[in-house]
Amino acid sequence: MNIPALLPAAADSNSTDILAIANSPVLWACAIGVFLVIIVQSVIYMKAAKTAAPHIGMTQDEIKTSFRAGAISALGPSLAVVMVAVALLTIFGTPAVLVRIGLIGSVSYETAAAAIAAKTAGAELGGPTYTQAVFGLALAAMSLGGAMWMIATLILTPLLKRGDSALRKVNPAIMLVVPGAAMIAAFMVLGIAELPKSWIHVVAFLSSAGIMTILMLIAKRVNKPWIKEWALGIAIILALAITYAATRL
Amino acid sequence: MSKATEMHEALGAFDKTTSRWGRITMIIGLILSLAAPAYLVFFSGLDIEVASVLAAFAALAAVFGVIWIVEPLTYFPILGASSMYQAFMIGNISNKLLPAAMIAQATIGVKPGTRKGELAAVAAICGAAAVHLTSLFVFVGLLGTWLVSVIPTDIVQTVQFYILPTVLGAVIVQAIVSQKAPRSAIIALTVSLIVIFVLVPLIPGMNLFATAVAVIATAVLAWVLRDRKTLGATENVESDALPEGPVY
Repeated sequence: MNIPALLPAAADSNSTDILAIANSPVLWACAIGVFLVIIVQSVIYMKAAKTAAPHIGMTQDEIKTSFRAGAISALGPSLAVVMVAVALLTIFGTPAVLVRIGLIGSVSYETAAAAIAAKTAGAELGGPTYTQAVFGLALAAMSLGGAMWMIATLILTPLLKRGDSALRKVNPAIMLVVPGAAMIAAFMVLGIAELPKSWIHVVAFLSSAGIMTILMLIAKRVNKPWIKEWALGIAIILALAITYAATRL
Repeated sequence: MSKATEMHEALGAFDKTTSRWGRITMIIGLILSLAAPAYLVFFSGLDIEVASVLAAFAALAAVFGVIWIVEPLTYFPILGASSMYQAFMIGNISNKLLPAAMIAQATIGVKPGTRKGELAAVAAICGAAAVHLTSLFVFVGLLGTWLVSVIPTDIVQTVQFYILPTVLGAVIVQAIVSQKAPRSAIIALTVSLIVIFVLVPLIPGMNLFATAVAVIATAVLAWVLRDRKTLGATENVESDALPEGPVY
């Protein structure tokens, strides 16, 4: 393989043309690799489930029905994730969005992680300080953060399976209060830090939060869970439209 | 061979296959997900210092470190060992994989927490993964890339400049609703306002630590000021009282 051809000609630390580097072939190859790994894993798991099923009194039909039920119920949430992912394509490029937001991570965590990483370099996500080098730093931080979840899973699952009682004895009240509070605080402080930047930032933030609140209230009132699934994508797209209108004023 | 031994052996084989291959595939996924940034940092010609990557990682750990460990602990009893390796690679656990598993279990009439329930969940997550990978590949990989190439530059620029406040506004509301912890939300809001509008302007260099300070202060205050009537004793916490699942 001709290595120089793989290197994007546009690699320039100070350029704000993120997509030149974010859509590079190497990043695409890694993203497709993650897709393939999940496919292989699913095939192995399905085979194992089909083999074990008859021995515990489950028919092949029941396994097939479960597969189909899982597939159908994932349609809505998957398309909702797609909508959010498309909105972030110009920030992270396609391969990073596929892996970080579509698969391993989620939009809320990954965007927060990228913002925190950019901040340590004195830059901001998007905008004139968001250079190729800052994008690289943000992707590195997002990936390392995501890796910690996987490493925790790899270490903790066998321990929990053995029924390690020390882990189960962690005070459930702490488990109930602290992580949730930390998560809300992380998003809250990052969000509020956007407000002093300009009045358009305020418009973007408030319109998005406002639309989300309205959607959540409607979802509760009419008891339609699909609204909750789609709320994040709808709120982001509508708020971006409002923000775009605000920049034209 | 008795029925019970046969069952035991079949499940043993299932556990062995899924935990071995679950771990192997997850480790490969882990390596691939790190290969992309490793390429950017070391080989792309971009000027990114390893020290600055470590600094960014440390900032992230201060904010999300607790959640890295707590989330696998939270999901294990719901997912079971074999699905853990699927769930933490496919992602979107609370909004996609858990509902898929529950609907499958309800469809064929088995209970979560049983071995049949576990097999149904594994099959359901495979089904969800199939749909998810396909829709991501087609709508984001192919169509999305094309879409971005035809969107006018000034719209792309608006998205790039204002995506962060837009995402966070909606995510904050979603986090508050899904966590069902109004007290923590009010504490988080108060602490964040004080940090951003009082501490950051007053203390030089505070900007770098603002997120971590707000997160740690909120976590401590939320614990100290918790509703002791419902969250007082360890034994009283019912499993129903758990939030819908972390926002991850």
